[in-house]
Amino acid sequence: MEEKINREKYKTLGYNVLTLFLFLAIWTLAYWLIKSPFFPSPLMVFNAFLELLIHGDIEDVKLGMHIQQSLWRIFGGFAAACILGIPLGLLMGLYGRVYDSTKVLIEPIRFIPPVAWIPLVIVLLVGYFRFVFIIWLGAFFPIFIGTLLSVRGVNPLHIEVPKSFGASRFYIIRNIVLPSVLPEVLTSMRVGLGIAWECIMAAEMIGGERVGIGIMILKYAQLIRMDAIIVGIIVIGIIGFGLNEIFIFVEKRIFRWKEVVSI
Amino acid sequence: MGSNYLERVKVFSYNLISLTIFIILWFWVARWQASPFFASPAEIAQGFMQMVTVGDEEGITIFMHLWQSLIRVFSGFGAACVLGIPGGLALGLFPFIYNRTRIIIEPLRFISPIAWIPVAIVLLVGFTRYVFVIWVASFFPIFITTLWSVRNVNLIHINVARVAGASRWFVITRIIVPATLPYIAGGMRVSLGISWMCIVAAEMIGGEMVGIGRLILKSSMMHRMDLVVVGMLTIGILGYCLNEVFIKVEKRIFRWRAAVSID
Amino acid sequence: MSGRKVKIEVRDLCKCFGDLEVLNHMNFDIYEGEFLCVVGPTGCGKTTFCNVVTRLLPLTQGAITMGGEEIDFKKHNVSFVFQEPSCIPWRTVWDDIKIGLQIKGVNKTEVRRRVNAIIELTGLTGFEHFYPSQISASMKQRVAIARAFVTEPDLLLMDEPFGQLDTRTRFSIENQLIEIWQKTKRTIIFVTHNLEEAVYLSERILVCTQKPTGIKEEVLVDLPHPRDITDPKFVEIRNRVTDLVKWWE
Repeated sequence: MEEKINREKYKTLGYNVLTLFLFLAIWTLAYWLIKSPFFPSPLMVFNAFLELLIHGDIEDVKLGMHIQQSLWRIFGGFAAACILGIPLGLLMGLYGRVYDSTKVLIEPIRFIPPVAWIPLVIVLLVGYFRFVFIIWLGAFFPIFIGTLLSVRGVNPLHIEVPKSFGASRFYIIRNIVLPSVLPEVLTSMRVGLGIAWECIMAAEMIGGERVGIGIMILKYAQLIRMDAIIVGIIVIGIIGFGLNEIFIFVEKRIFRWKEVVSI
Repeated sequence: MGSNYLERVKVFSYNLISLTIFIILWFWVARWQASPFFASPAEIAQGFMQMVTVGDEEGITIFMHLWQSLIRVFSGFGAACVLGIPGGLALGLFPFIYNRTRIIIEPLRFISPIAWIPVAIVLLVGFTRYVFVIWVASFFPIFITTLWSVRNVNLIHINVARVAGASRWFVITRIIVPATLPYIAGGMRVSLGISWMCIVAAEMIGGEMVGIGRLILKSSMMHRMDLVVVGMLTIGILGYCLNEVFIKVEKRIFRWRAAVSID
Repeated sequence: MSGRKVKIEVRDLCKCFGDLEVLNHMNFDIYEGEFLCVVGPTGCGKTTFCNVVTRLLPLTQGAITMGGEEIDFKKHNVSFVFQEPSCIPWRTVWDDIKIGLQIKGVNKTEVRRRVNAIIELTGLTGFEHFYPSQISASMKQRVAIARAFVTEPDLLLMDEPFGQLDTRTRFSIENQLIEIWQKTKRTIIFVTHNLEEAVYLSERILVCTQKPTGIKEEVLVDLPHPRDITDPKFVEIRNRVTDLVKWWE
């Protein structure tokens, strides 16, 4: 059995590599057909990647530095979103009336895109907090709403059972509600992290700083250097994908009692 | 029936109270800040009236901005549906395709629409730029939800049809598609929200002077913070309304389901 | 049983999941119009047995033939009542019952006639336009049974169909099932772990062994319907079956 599963894994991996090569081949073909200075070939992108990695960009900032800065900002915003979103979600899930009574405030704010906040953020905040605030905006709502919904979705039977033994409210929250919402909270954290990472571009449009993967893209956008822009896009995609995969792996590890972790 | 009505009135008035408290707090903070960049609710109301009657510096009213933006958003969203739903169904029915092309599909999911803007500017022209940026943002939620829902169709329902001698076509059209429709609709709703939130990002592309995102960008350049907030609130409220209407329609169509969740 | 026409032949039936052997060389015949019960301990592979007989799962070895041919859903008229609730949530009771006829391309007037008849027989009159989420568990199970009967199947498989019902509903549905069976004379394979139910319903009982499942013994139940569970003959047969299965522990 074990061997069969392993073989299946390698097969899938092999096909994935094949798909990747096919994709690169089509890209190269398109490059030859289009022949535009704004449409680089995979090789040119790879060269730009090496250059960014080793020599750095036009201001001599290396790719590693850009990534590190961006991750640091994401971490700040994501942590803030977790610290506020999870307890608030739990609280509003447990006391449904609070959420129902403030819906008129909370819901419209959900639909204001993080980018739209930039002008206000520039005026009201300074330095690192600007980035954190924009990313927090993006990540907060998925985490908050996810937690809130998971509390509302706790199987009433699991609450009734300890209640019939005379358990206190605190006991039920600690021993029933929290463990049963934890997997969904973690899932919404993963979704929130994905969105936080997607917000890095929006956050780094604030300007002022010189380092950050989004800033790197913007710098090269002004020069219309498509090869470097594509390097930035690919790096963003791969890091987001990597973060997500790591999170899924951890989820599966912790919650082995759950049958499926959805994508 | 009566208590239900009473409950609604109660929730409504609580919402009204929290809204009033919020506006009063805002007044206070604006007073205390006394900054020209922190608009008070009264200034925003004035700004809103100006936008409705006279329009912005170029005489474009808020309705014209909204109309243009809605056309862009629905075009991008429509394109996402047209490609995402059949794509998700196909890859859900043939999961090996998804498993073997994951290496290309997954990183793309995590690239924010804003990162695509430089690419869109170089490779596309006019209206298609907006459509592309919004499509990038809204495609993946629809696509992934559809794919995931096909994989999660209850096997029993498929077997019921198979034992009765159903063809593959019957199973797809009469079992799989109806079973996935509520999830697809949910995915469409999430996507519509995301498309709408992308409008500011899309309208950063520049060129045209009309659009609600453009209004925010223009006003922030001229330090008209009241108009920036008017734009933000309009986006938030309209996004919320679109979402609520969608939920109502979903509940109507899928009466056979017990619950439609808010997220 | 001699003299009856053989409907289905099961020869040397084996099913393995990887190294796990679930069904072990099963051999038996099913006669035309027979009510056959298969009893076995929980988790012994009864559901696997049903899935293999209906060919929802491929078999590892052996053959199941019906009139000399391999069972094929498109050629043979087979119905299956699943153990789990199987009502299709977006179809009303009426639409759900008609699904088999719809698949088989029966014309509309005939569909209406048959569906109305079976709805009356299963006591679902008045609930035709209800969705499964609006009716009780026992009614859902009756819908599943009606759906299986309405196609007038050559073979009807029932996998612990009454497991989730309360005793009273169970008795009434069991009686309805016997009534329908006597009227229509369909071949039925009824899988259960409830011995009394098996003796109450069937003409013949196959007692299975613990995993890997094989057939331990065949018990004939030669009693007229309706049966009385306090009848000495009934008790005798039930005790015999009980003795056979004691060995499971």
